[in-house]
Amino acid sequence: MTGCAVTTGFFVLAKCGAPAVTGCPQCRRPLCAAHVADLNLCPECAAAYGHGGHPAAAAAGYRRGIRSRIARVYSDRHWYDQLDTYDRAAFEPGAAGNPEFADERDSGLVDS
Amino acid sequence: MFWRKTKAAIASFHPLHQALISHHTINVTLDPAGWTALVASLSRHNALVRRRKWALPPRTLDVLVPLVQLLAADMAPGAPLAVAADLRGGKPAEKAGQRQQLPVRPPVRSATQWFVTDPWLWVRAPLRDGSVLGLTVVDRFRHRRVQKRSRSGKYKTKTKTKQTQVIRVTRTLPRGLAGQRPGTAPPAWISVRIRDRKRRALTATAKMPTVPCSSEQVQHILTVATETFRWTPPGPARPERRTA
Repeated sequence: MTGCAVTTGFFVLAKCGAPAVTGCPQCRRPLCAAHVADLNLCPECAAAYGHGGHPAAAAAGYRRGIRSRIARVYSDRHWYDQLDTYDRAAFEPGAAGNPEFADERDSGLVDS
Repeated sequence: MFWRKTKAAIASFHPLHQALISHHTINVTLDPAGWTALVASLSRHNALVRRRKWALPPRTLDVLVPLVQLLAADMAPGAPLAVAADLRGGKPAEKAGQRQQLPVRPPVRSATQWFVTDPWLWVRAPLRDGSVLGLTVVDRFRHRRVQKRSRSGKYKTKTKTKQTQVIRVTRTLPRGLAGQRPGTAPPAWISVRIRDRKRRALTATAKMPTVPCSSEQVQHILTVATETFRWTPPGPARPERRTA
């Protein structure tokens, strides 16, 4: 059975490995029941779209943000690159993704 | 008679949560499941307790809880996480040192100096990669009280306080692993020491020019701890080894 591919941990990174029950519609990674976040996305994709309600999504967003900041402090890009492409790609500028999952709370549009 | 609902709510909290409310200290070793139960109890505090007398000490929800959750994610299921936190601040008399009289000359009548050392956090966490992470955070305060006579003839007392914080993170590597020096040096404000015994231990120390606010404290701790993990670049992330 395919194992859950969500990254866990902060300093010691590892894949969850629990039996997968579904897949993320955005990045297509297998997910276990504990790591299905808002809108049935994986935690990283949910955090990238602003849905940080699930604990794993909040942890993924926090991990990416802190590691990015620490990499700048150390001038060590490799520290941020340790996160795999799924952890980083959803947050990269210009990663359009599926607009269906975009958080529209602050779209900047106001009624005239 | 008064505060009955609040007292009943406090009685329903985790025993360690109650200890934090009454003594402002915690000294315990729990597995991740135990810490999860304690964190769940702490998360209910602000919704049920309004009285300032029974408020959680500073840094409990901003520093202690996020740090425990982060470290628990890097630990194996069932591994013990030890935390000793003294969140009473720098006020207790036992944390202050001897008062010294500084040499003065007119118009200063006297100058007194004393230091306060507040080792408010100690953590020990065995990680799932076989290493052991140790963390200490110490706040140091230098207080000076100066009595002087102003030119108008009034006697005035002025106080000055200087704060620093020392964050020390020690990571004992797994047996047989020596690590390798990172390609880039750490920032100048972080120093690294290596101790080679049966297992190599890396200690990263940073002296902050001021005590950071609670919201930035965890980031500073993680930044210092990162140096000890840069010595052991991870391989490709593999599935967790599940012992159960």
